[in-house]
Amino acid sequence: MIEEITDFEVLEIAVRELAIEKGLFTAEDHRKFTEWAETIGPAGGSRLVAKAWIDPAFKARALTDGVAACKEIGIDWLEPTGTGTPSDYTEFRILEDTPELHHVIVCTLCSCYPRPLLGMSPEWYRSPNYRRRLVRWPRQVLAEFGLVLPPEVEVRVEDSNQKCRFMVMPVRPPGTDGWTEEQLAEIVTRDCMIGVALPRADRKADDVRPVQKARRPVGHAEARVGTD
Amino acid sequence: MPPDYVDPAPIALLEDARKHDQVWAEIAPRYGVTAADPPWKTSLSATCECLAAGGALASLDRRHAEDQLARSIYRDVSAPERQLLALAHTMLRRGLLGEDDLARRMQAVRTRLQAS
Repeated sequence: MIEEITDFEVLEIAVRELAIEKGLFTAEDHRKFTEWAETIGPAGGSRLVAKAWIDPAFKARALTDGVAACKEIGIDWLEPTGTGTPSDYTEFRILEDTPELHHVIVCTLCSCYPRPLLGMSPEWYRSPNYRRRLVRWPRQVLAEFGLVLPPEVEVRVEDSNQKCRFMVMPVRPPGTDGWTEEQLAEIVTRDCMIGVALPRADRKADDVRPVQKARRPVGHAEARVGTD
Repeated sequence: MPPDYVDPAPIALLEDARKHDQVWAEIAPRYGVTAADPPWKTSLSATCECLAAGGALASLDRRHAEDQLARSIYRDVSAPERQLLALAHTMLRRGLLGEDDLARRMQAVRTRLQAS
């Protein structure tokens, strides 16, 4: 339980209240979007991939019409307004990996992301570092995530935008024969559906991204002399 | 050199808000709270969506301004506080909010939270 009131908590509330009073949006709309943001997460994406791995007919439908396939598993791209959100246009395509082809998604302009399926994007996905470098040096950036692909595997970077969202359907890994849909869903983590990781039978969580403090950080030098 | 999407000159009120560095990444561990994000993060996301939905601030404009501010005056601030500061900064610069109004409201909110 955090007992201090932070300036940021105060700022967030103040901005929101003033915006509502000025008629920029309504409290009701804000409540709807907040609730929606709190319900979304990567579990839907994991279930979709697991179901596709087990059910070839569902997989074929998912690759033909991503939005309809999501509806089948209870994810509605038209929420919370009935017409979707301003940031999530209702065109969604699932990218099927094969042993010869690996996909990875990005949004170079901002941070478009298949939020109804994967929840809110991680901070690194929003960073210019990822967005600029992945499209130029994909293998190098993937290697920084610990994913090294052999040269015979083609790497395809798919750039998302406000009109079209993507998600990766990775290849089902070895060692998962006879698994139930639930068991399979557990190993389809968010990073696998972005394409910066591969699912493995023994991997149920994404790696925690380490924060490396800069030895000579720009901007800190004057303010924090004598610290790391 | 890319164009400025927003005037990056510091805004006194926001410089004041960030000076105590009460970012979630620092304070949550002090209280043993393991949640990755502060409780207001979803509300911030909703505010961004609503501003776009109503036409006040389109998402791409907001993100371009955020990128610009994140590599300049707010580069030392961790996420999601950086996103919040960038949003407030952009709204102030565009006249969607007034600095005096925001200062008064922040004081009122703080008083209200301290009382409860």
